[in-house]
Amino acid sequence: MNLDLFSLQAAWRRTQPDAWTRRRFLQTASVATLAALAGAAPRSLRAASQTPRLPATADRVIVLWMGGGMAHTETFDPKRFTPYSTGLDPNTVLSTFPSIPTAVEGVRFSEGLEQIASVMDRGTLLRGMQAADLGFILHSRHQYNWHTGYVPPQTVAAPHLGAWIARTLGPMDPAVPAFINIGQRFDLGEGEELKAFTTAGFLGSEYGPFNVPFPEQAADAVRPPAGMGPDRFADRNKFYRRLLETSPIGQEGSDFQKESLLRAMDNAHRLLSSPASRAFDLSLEPLESTRRYFPGYQPGQRFDAPLDRFGGRYEVGMVGRFGLGCLLARRLCEVGARFIEVTTEYIPFLNWDTHENGHSRLVGMKRMIDAPIAQLVRDLEERGLLDRTLIVLASEFSRDMMMEGKPEKAVKDQVPVPEVITDPKHYGMHRHFTAAGSVLLFGGGMRRGHVHGITADERPCRTLKDPVTITELHATVYAALGIPPDHGYDVEKRPFYVTSDGKGVPVRSLFARA
Amino acid sequence: MSVVVPLPHRPARAAPVLRPARGIARALGIGFTLALSTAAAQTSLLTPEQRATLPAAATHPVDFVRDIQPIFEASCLQCHGRGKAKGSFSIETRADFLLGGDRGEPIVPGDSAHSLVVEMISGLSPDDVMPEKGKRLTADQVALFRAWIDQGLPWPDSVNFHRLEPANLRPRDVGTPEAAPGLEHPLDRWVDRYLRAQGATWPAIVDDRTFARRAWFDTVGLPPPPEALADFLNDPAPNRRERLVQRLLADDQAYAEHWLSFWNDLLRNDYRGTGYIDGGRKQITGWLYTALARNLPYDQFVAQLIHPNAEAEGFTRGILWRGAVGNASMVPAMQASQNVAQVFLGVNLKCASCHDSFINEYTLADAYGLASVFSDAPLEVAECDKPTGEFAQVKFLYAELGGIDPKAGPEARKQRLVELITGKGNGRLPRTIVNRFWQRLLGHGLVEPVDEMDRPAWSPEILDWLAEDLVAHGYDLKHLLTRILTSRTYQLASVGLSETSESFVFRGPVVRRLSAEQFSDSLRFVTLGDYGKAATRYNRNVGLSDLGDALPLRPSWIWPTAGAERAAAPGGYVFKRTFTLPAGPTVATLAVAADDNYTLRVNGSQLGNSARRASTSADHYDLTPHLCAGENVVELIAENLPPDDHRGDPIPADKIDNPAGLLAYLRIRIGDEVHDVATDRQWTAVPLRPANPAAAAAPLAVVELGGVELSPWRLGPDFLDVAAAAPDTRPIARASLVAADPLMVALGRPNREQVVTVRQETATTLQALEMTNGGTLAALLRAGAQRVLAPTGGDLPAVIDGLYRRSLARPPTDAERALALDLVRAAPNPTAGIEDLIWALTMLPEFQLLR
Repeated sequence: MNLDLFSLQAAWRRTQPDAWTRRRFLQTASVATLAALAGAAPRSLRAASQTPRLPATADRVIVLWMGGGMAHTETFDPKRFTPYSTGLDPNTVLSTFPSIPTAVEGVRFSEGLEQIASVMDRGTLLRGMQAADLGFILHSRHQYNWHTGYVPPQTVAAPHLGAWIARTLGPMDPAVPAFINIGQRFDLGEGEELKAFTTAGFLGSEYGPFNVPFPEQAADAVRPPAGMGPDRFADRNKFYRRLLETSPIGQEGSDFQKESLLRAMDNAHRLLSSPASRAFDLSLEPLESTRRYFPGYQPGQRFDAPLDRFGGRYEVGMVGRFGLGCLLARRLCEVGARFIEVTTEYIPFLNWDTHENGHSRLVGMKRMIDAPIAQLVRDLEERGLLDRTLIVLASEFSRDMMMEGKPEKAVKDQVPVPEVITDPKHYGMHRHFTAAGSVLLFGGGMRRGHVHGITADERPCRTLKDPVTITELHATVYAALGIPPDHGYDVEKRPFYVTSDGKGVPVRSLFARA
Repeated sequence: MSVVVPLPHRPARAAPVLRPARGIARALGIGFTLALSTAAAQTSLLTPEQRATLPAAATHPVDFVRDIQPIFEASCLQCHGRGKAKGSFSIETRADFLLGGDRGEPIVPGDSAHSLVVEMISGLSPDDVMPEKGKRLTADQVALFRAWIDQGLPWPDSVNFHRLEPANLRPRDVGTPEAAPGLEHPLDRWVDRYLRAQGATWPAIVDDRTFARRAWFDTVGLPPPPEALADFLNDPAPNRRERLVQRLLADDQAYAEHWLSFWNDLLRNDYRGTGYIDGGRKQITGWLYTALARNLPYDQFVAQLIHPNAEAEGFTRGILWRGAVGNASMVPAMQASQNVAQVFLGVNLKCASCHDSFINEYTLADAYGLASVFSDAPLEVAECDKPTGEFAQVKFLYAELGGIDPKAGPEARKQRLVELITGKGNGRLPRTIVNRFWQRLLGHGLVEPVDEMDRPAWSPEILDWLAEDLVAHGYDLKHLLTRILTSRTYQLASVGLSETSESFVFRGPVVRRLSAEQFSDSLRFVTLGDYGKAATRYNRNVGLSDLGDALPLRPSWIWPTAGAERAAAPGGYVFKRTFTLPAGPTVATLAVAADDNYTLRVNGSQLGNSARRASTSADHYDLTPHLCAGENVVELIAENLPPDDHRGDPIPADKIDNPAGLLAYLRIRIGDEVHDVATDRQWTAVPLRPANPAAAAAPLAVVELGGVELSPWRLGPDFLDVAAAAPDTRPIARASLVAADPLMVALGRPNREQVVTVRQETATTLQALEMTNGGTLAALLRAGAQRVLAPTGGDLPAVIDGLYRRSLARPPTDAERALALDLVRAAPNPTAGIEDLIWALTMLPEFQLLR
C-alpha cells in the first residue's frame, strides 16, 4: 500500500506545475483522493476490464428489500389458492391468497398487491431467482450473499452493493451521501451479521452507508444534535474555526493528517447546510402526497416503539414505516442520491420472516408495501426520473409450506408443520425455499410489462425456465449503471470484483434496448 | 560452465504409461497416487505447415545461464518453479523438466521441432499457448529454446529454481555499533548509521510536553493527567523521560486495557459480532487480558494461542456463521492457517488458500499443510473451491526450520508447530512483532506492508537488532516497548505523511491519529466519565497486584459419568450442593466453567447463564446478596450438546459423544471465617430430561474427573485466580472492554470479522458527520459538561483551564482563554457553553493527532 502511496505521490508531483503547492493540493483534493494518497483506499485494478463498456441505462439504484424471505407464491407468482379450513392437508396448499390480474394481460399477482399490479406495465418481473445453497438457513447470511455477491465468512471485508456503486460512480451530488440505507436497525436479532455486510468493507468507510433507521426521523440525521438550535450550531462551528486559528499548533505547518481532518469537517458542515439536506425532512412533503405513500399518516407519527408493544400485530403497526422510507427515497432521488436501499426491515420472526401465522401476517406485509411501491414508481415516472432510476425489489429467498431448501438439496426443517392444519397459525409459508423467488424491476432501462422465468404450478414450485442467479442479477444492475461485471479493486494485492470472480453475466434480455 | 547430461532414453509420447500424478500430489507430499497419463492420446499441436514456420534453431552453442535462464525467469517460473507446478509441470531442476507434467513428455530428445514445449511456446496453436499469462516468447527466444533442446539441454547442476529462502526468516546477530556521545542507546546507534549513510543529520527531538503526550498514549492509551504531567515536567533528572516510560509501563492494568484493542484487532476478539449468535465463535478476553496484564512472554503468548486451552481456543477456532461453510478456503482450520500465518509470521496465505498464490511464493499445499495442524480429520484439498480428491498432508511453511511428523496426533502436531514458530531458529516471529510495534509507535513499519514480512526492511539492521534484543530479553514485550520509547529515534519531531518521499526515508515518527478507542477514552478522561459495566467477564485483579490468596480447596471437574472429559452422551443435569452458613456472608463469589453451557440458580433464583455453547471460559458471579444464614442451595444446570447441531450437516455417530464437565468454586467469607465450597464428590446430579418424567429421579453421584489442569480444558491457575478475586464493581473507563458504539465504529473500530493489523487513518465525511451531529457524541458531551461543571461552583476560567490541560496537555493561551470565555458566556446556559467548548477542543487536530 505504501509503495502505491509513494508512486502516486511521485506521479502527482511530476504532473503539478510549481505554483501548485502541496498545501493547495491538499485543500482542493477530494477526501477520496487523499485517502488514496494515504494508501487507505484500494486502487482500481490497473488492467482495463475485459468487457466492453456499454452505455449506462440508469444513473441510480433503489433496492426495495423484503428482508426475511418473501414467498413468491404469496406475492408475485401466485399458484392454486386453497382457502383455510380446519383439517386442511398442508401438502395441498400452494397459495393462501387468491390471485388478481395486473396491468399486463396474463400476468397475475397475489391478492393484496393491487396497486403494484396496476403499475406492472412499467415493470420487469423475474420469477426464477436462485438463492445460493448455504445449508441450514441463517437469514442474515443469505442477505450478506445477496448484498455483496460473496458468501461469508470472507478473508477480506466484502463491500455492500451500495458501496461498490458509491466507490465506482461517486455521489451524483456531492452534498448527498452516495449510499443511503433506510429502515434497518442494527441492535436487534442478527444485528452483528447485518452490520457485517452493511459496510463498505475493504473499500474504506468513505463509501459506507449513511444509515437512516427511522425514515420519519431522517431529518435528525442532517440536523444539529437534539437540543441544539441552528444558531448555536453555527456559533459552535464558528468558535471551532477561531480556536483553530488561535491554537499555537493550528498555526504550524500542515500535513496530510491534519488536512484530512479539516476537510472532512468541512464536508460534513457543507452536507448539513446544503439545500439538498431538506430532502431528508419529510415534514416538508405535502400531507396529501405523504398519504399516498402511507394512507393513514398523521404528522409527527413515530415508529420506534419497542417490538413487544404490538401483541402479535407488528406488521400492521409498521405499515407506514416502509411507506415513509419509499417517500424519503423519492425525495432523495430528486436531489441526486446515487444508491438507496429501503427495507421492510429484517427482524428475526417478524415481517416477512413468518414462522407461523404466515397468512394473516402477510396481509399486513402487503399493506405495508403495496401503496408506497406503486406510488414511488408513479412519482418517479411523473418527475421524469424513472427512466434513469433502476428499482429492484428483492428478498434473500422465498418460502414454502413444506419444503426447506430446494428439492435436490433439502436441508433440516426449522419449522414443524402438522399433518393436518387445525389452527390458522399453521396456515402460511413457514419454511425457507431457495429453488425459486421473485424479483421485480422498474425503470433504469429495463423492459416494461415483461416477465422472465417460469416456475412450476405444483409443489415444489421451483424454477422451470430462465433461472437467474444473484451474480447475474448483480451483473445486470451493474450493466445498467455502465459498470462491467469484472470491474474491481486491488485489496492486499489481489483483485476483488463487483461480481463474484468478475464472472457475472448480465441478463441482456431484460433491457428494453438489448 | 555448462554440463551436458545425457538424456534419459525414452520414447516420447509413446505407449500409455502409468506414472505418478505430480503437481498437487507431489506438492502435498502424497506418493503412490497413480493417474493415467494422457500422453498416448496426445497428438501434435501443430500442422506440418505450421511446423514449417517455426523459427529455426539458433546455431551457436547455447549457454543455459546466459540464454535460457532469463526466458525461464521472465515467462515460466511464475507457474512452474519456486515451489509451483501448474499442470503438474515443474522446471525447478533439469530432472523435473524432463519428467514433464500432465501433458506428457515435454521434449523429443534432439528434435526440438516436434517437442511439445516448443509447440506451445511458439504461439502457433492459438488455443494452446504458453505462457498463458505473462510475456510471450519472441521468435529469437524460440530459436534459442530450440537450439537448447537440440544441443541436449545443457543445464549446470548448480542452477535450480527451488523456492528461495524468504527474507527475515533466520535470526541474525548484527552486533551493536560503537556508542557516540549522545547516542548510547543501541537503537540510536543503528539509526545514526542509517542517517549517515543517507547523508542526513539527526533532526531535533520534541519537547517534554510533546514527548509526554506520545508516551502516555503509546503505553496506556490516555492523555497525561495534569498532576502527573506536572510531576514529570518538574523532574530535574536528566533521565526523566526514561523514568516516565518505566513508570507508565509499570501500570499493568492500564497497559493491558490499552493494548487489548491492538490484540483484539489481530486476534479477532470482540464482545459482539458475527458467529456469537449460536456458538460459531468464542471470546478469548479472559485469557488475553490476563496475558497482557501479566506481560506473558511473547513466545509463550503465541504458544498458548496456537496450542490453546479452553480459554484461548477462540483464536484458532475462528468464526462460523450458521449453515454450511460456503467456501472450502474458509473452513475453521483454513481460517486458523491464514490467521496464524498473518498475525505471527506476517505472511498472507489468503490467496494460497484457493490456489498457488500469484502475489507471493506460497502454495495451496502450504495453506493446507498448515491448516492440517488444526484439523482432527484429514482435509480434502479444494482448488478454487473445487474438490481435488486429494488430501492434504501436514506441513510447515518453512522446511528450512523443520517439519511436522504427518503421523503425529492432533495434540503433538500443535505442539510441534509451537516449537517451530516459537523456536530460536525462527527469526520471523520476533521480527514480525517488532515491526508491528514499530509501525504502531512510529507510524510506518520497518517493513511495509506489515503483513508482508517476506520483504526486506528499510533498515534490516534495526529490525534484526530489535528482534534479537527481544529474544535475548525473554520475549518481554514491555522491554521492546521500553527500548523503542526511550530511544532518541522515538523522540524525534514528527513528520507529516505527505512529507515522506517516493521511496521511504526515515526522518522521524509519522504523525498519527488517535484510534477510535483512544479518542473515546480521552473524551471520558476529559469529561470525568466512564462506560459503566464491562461487556465481558474478565479478571481485572490480575492487573492490580498479586492475588496472594491461596484457596483452601481444590475444585474438580465433575460429571455423572467417568471419562466425561473425553466423551459423554448428550444431555443435561441439575448439579446441586446444599450447605449451611452460620450467618450471612461478608463476601461470596462464584467462579464457574462448563462444557457446553450452564445456568446458575441460587436458593431458587436464577442468577445467570452462559452462552448456549462455548462457555468453557471462567465466569465470575457475586453471590454476596444471595446467600443467607442457614441452609443454602446452589444449583448449576449444565448441558452437553451434540456437536455442531446447527451446521446442517449430519453428525457422524462417533462424534455425538463429546467432552462434558462442570467446574465451580464458591468462595465464601464470614468475617475472617472461610466457608468455601468447590465442585467435588459432595455434589449430586439429577437428569434434566429424565427418561421417566413421572418418577421422581433419584440424585446421581458425580465423578471427580480431575483438577483445573485437566485436558482438554486446561484452565489451570487462571481459574483459581478468578475464583480468588474479590467482586469487581468499579466502572470501566476503557473502550477496549466494551462493545463498539456508533462513534467508535465511525472512527474506525473494526467489527473484527477479519484480522486487522493496520487501521484506516484517513478522516472521512461520514466520520465527521458522526462527530458533528451524531447522537452518541452529543449525549456524551451533554453529560460530560454537567459532570465537569458540577463541582466547580461556576468558576469558568478554572473549568476552561482544566479542560485544556486534560485534553491538550497544556493550559490555554491568554487568547484561547478569552475566546473560550466568550463562547461559554454567549451560550444559552453555561452547560451548553461548556458542552460546545469540549466539542471544539476535541475536534482540534491538536487533540486528535499524535505529533
